[in-house]
Amino acid sequence: MSYVLAKSQNDDIHKAGECGGAVTSILKYLLDEGIVDGVLAISPCDDVYDGVPTFVTNSEDLMKTAGSYHCAPTMIGDLVQKYLFDKKVAVTAKPCDMRAIEELIIRHKIDKDNIYVIGLNCGGTVPPVAGRKMIDLFYEANPDDVVSEEIDKGQFIIELADGSEEAVKIHDLEKEGYGRRTNCQRCDVKIPRKANIACGNWGAEDGWTFIEINDEKGQELIDGAKKAGILETKSPADPAIEGRKKVEGIMIKMAKKIQDKMYPTVNEIDDWNRCISCYACRDVCPICWCYENCELNKSFFKDEQNIPPSPIAFQGVRLSHMSFSCVDCGQCDDVCPMDIPVSLIFDKLQKKYFDRTGYVAGVSDGTKPPLYSPEKTEL
Amino acid sequence: MLEIKHTLCPSCSVGCGINVVLNDGEIVGTFPYKRHPVNAGKNCLNGRNSIDCYKNKFEDVDVDSLIGDVSKALNSASDVTVICSGNNTIEEIEAIKEFADSKGYKIGFYADNLKNYEEVASYEDIENAEKVFVIGDLLYENPLIGRRIVHAKQNGAKIFAFVNSEASVTFNIADECFNDSVGEFLDAVGNNIDESSVLVFNQIDAAEDLDKIDALNCKVLPVFSKSNSKGALGILEPKSKEEMFELLDNTDVLLVFNDDIADELEFDFSKISKIFSFAPCADETTEISEIVVPIKTWLEKDGSFVNAMGETQNFNAAIESDALSVIEVIEKLNG
Repeated sequence: MSYVLAKSQNDDIHKAGECGGAVTSILKYLLDEGIVDGVLAISPCDDVYDGVPTFVTNSEDLMKTAGSYHCAPTMIGDLVQKYLFDKKVAVTAKPCDMRAIEELIIRHKIDKDNIYVIGLNCGGTVPPVAGRKMIDLFYEANPDDVVSEEIDKGQFIIELADGSEEAVKIHDLEKEGYGRRTNCQRCDVKIPRKANIACGNWGAEDGWTFIEINDEKGQELIDGAKKAGILETKSPADPAIEGRKKVEGIMIKMAKKIQDKMYPTVNEIDDWNRCISCYACRDVCPICWCYENCELNKSFFKDEQNIPPSPIAFQGVRLSHMSFSCVDCGQCDDVCPMDIPVSLIFDKLQKKYFDRTGYVAGVSDGTKPPLYSPEKTEL
Repeated sequence: MLEIKHTLCPSCSVGCGINVVLNDGEIVGTFPYKRHPVNAGKNCLNGRNSIDCYKNKFEDVDVDSLIGDVSKALNSASDVTVICSGNNTIEEIEAIKEFADSKGYKIGFYADNLKNYEEVASYEDIENAEKVFVIGDLLYENPLIGRRIVHAKQNGAKIFAFVNSEASVTFNIADECFNDSVGEFLDAVGNNIDESSVLVFNQIDAAEDLDKIDALNCKVLPVFSKSNSKGALGILEPKSKEEMFELLDNTDVLLVFNDDIADELEFDFSKISKIFSFAPCADETTEISEIVVPIKTWLEKDGSFVNAMGETQNFNAAIESDALSVIEVIEKLNG
């Protein structure tokens, strides 16, 4: 593992990027050199709250993916495994995206040789609709006037078209039920170290991206982009490295505090009686990849007569199948029409599994998924 | 080439947003549309399965020849009825009405036995109500309205529910449950309903129930089974089930524009001499039709729906298609 500070040599990208444009420059290098068939990154569709995964095959289109979008709680792991398996791709990935990709790699659903992962450090994401309401309620600004947003130094900061900024402490927003998604609040993986490189502004000077190079492929990316003349790098000073470490440490400490507060509430959850058996939680889960072969579709578990289903027969089966691999991406919470806090239960069980085995889903090294069984592959 | 495009869910009148995934020019899946104000990325199973209509759409056929056959049959027909529904867009409904009026055909439009209300409760009104009165298993049948009822409950509202079945998800969150009849439910709770209340319903038992609802002093929100029933109600006069039966009894030739009327109404359609359907994919009505003219699926056309709370929502084709739209079919029928 090593560190560099990097910035784009391309003025437009440097200006459009969140902190120096290193990520966009590396993606451009990969596309221009024909190393990848395409890039999967987030770009705003209707406005800054509407981040949508976008597949780019021409580097001229990369500018629309520049910048960071915290109101884009997307998951790209399942998109890669479902639709891009046979392509050489580069993706930008938050820690939960990376953890899902890693779990899918060990299940042979994503080919590690086919994918370059540009990791993005992450302090959390905000649900778009609630995010707009939050700005309406806690800021002076009109949500429609926001041109960009960022999370920095414990604040959610918005920038308006006239260049002015407004900031509110995330703690205050979350106290009122707004701010980051609840799974993000308790997430203790802030830097995606399974990615080839992990990028962000923590510890970086203005106009530079701080990059942690995690493996040989990551080093090749940096070297290649430099050689292509699109990336400039320099070594970070020790205080910068320490500063980044400190930011990560504080965020993890805060997350663990929230975990201690949230996990006991699982025992009080009676939300299962709202479950309408729509299977949205299963279908969106990046780790659940069995599809038609899912045990829940089998006659012995099929429980169409009972709405809500028995939690043991439905969620119990899912919990026993994959809770040890839950990456706490929160997608199940996001898509549940009944607002059942599904991920809280799965994440709590993953942590219990960690307590006994030391395995952190999508983070720990291992060649086989937990509870791997050769019979499972024959289903 | 992988693409994600915004569109609207066509599976009921709530008006949820949904993203569709295109890969190499084909619709291959759905993806949460989290920015959409109605549903924030949440879709029910019907919504997520709504792309099946595209996947199972009719193969290309000689549409001109089929339309020619329909036109020929219409030339010598009397007692023609046109079935229009909330599955059609605003633009299509206007075209269908104009076509039927110009030809002197009767129009059959059924909106779940419900009717139009000029003023309806918004989805936020439900969340902010002190008391919510629910008729139908809204949590199961219209989950993204059901979610607003859950929010109301979480905000401290008292929930009163009528559902036909003795067990339902809606009952699980209700403070008081009823299952005798809609009329008895309204009689029982009527005194409790005031300006701080919202009545949400997706069914009634009889026309008298609508009279009772009219007499209530609260905001109401009828939720329809089809995406644009509310929009259609602004253009067409709805018929009750009995009125539909009467109309069909007096019909010799039936033109059905994208509506599975045979599934919806328990009527002996064999009494009608000729049934011609304009539909994107097979259903019970196309099964009993003499001629079926394939038309665009909702994913292949532009248009607008009006959702249950009266908001007009525009959408664009997610994918190009050579199939005809309803409007193009009517142009051809008009010659």
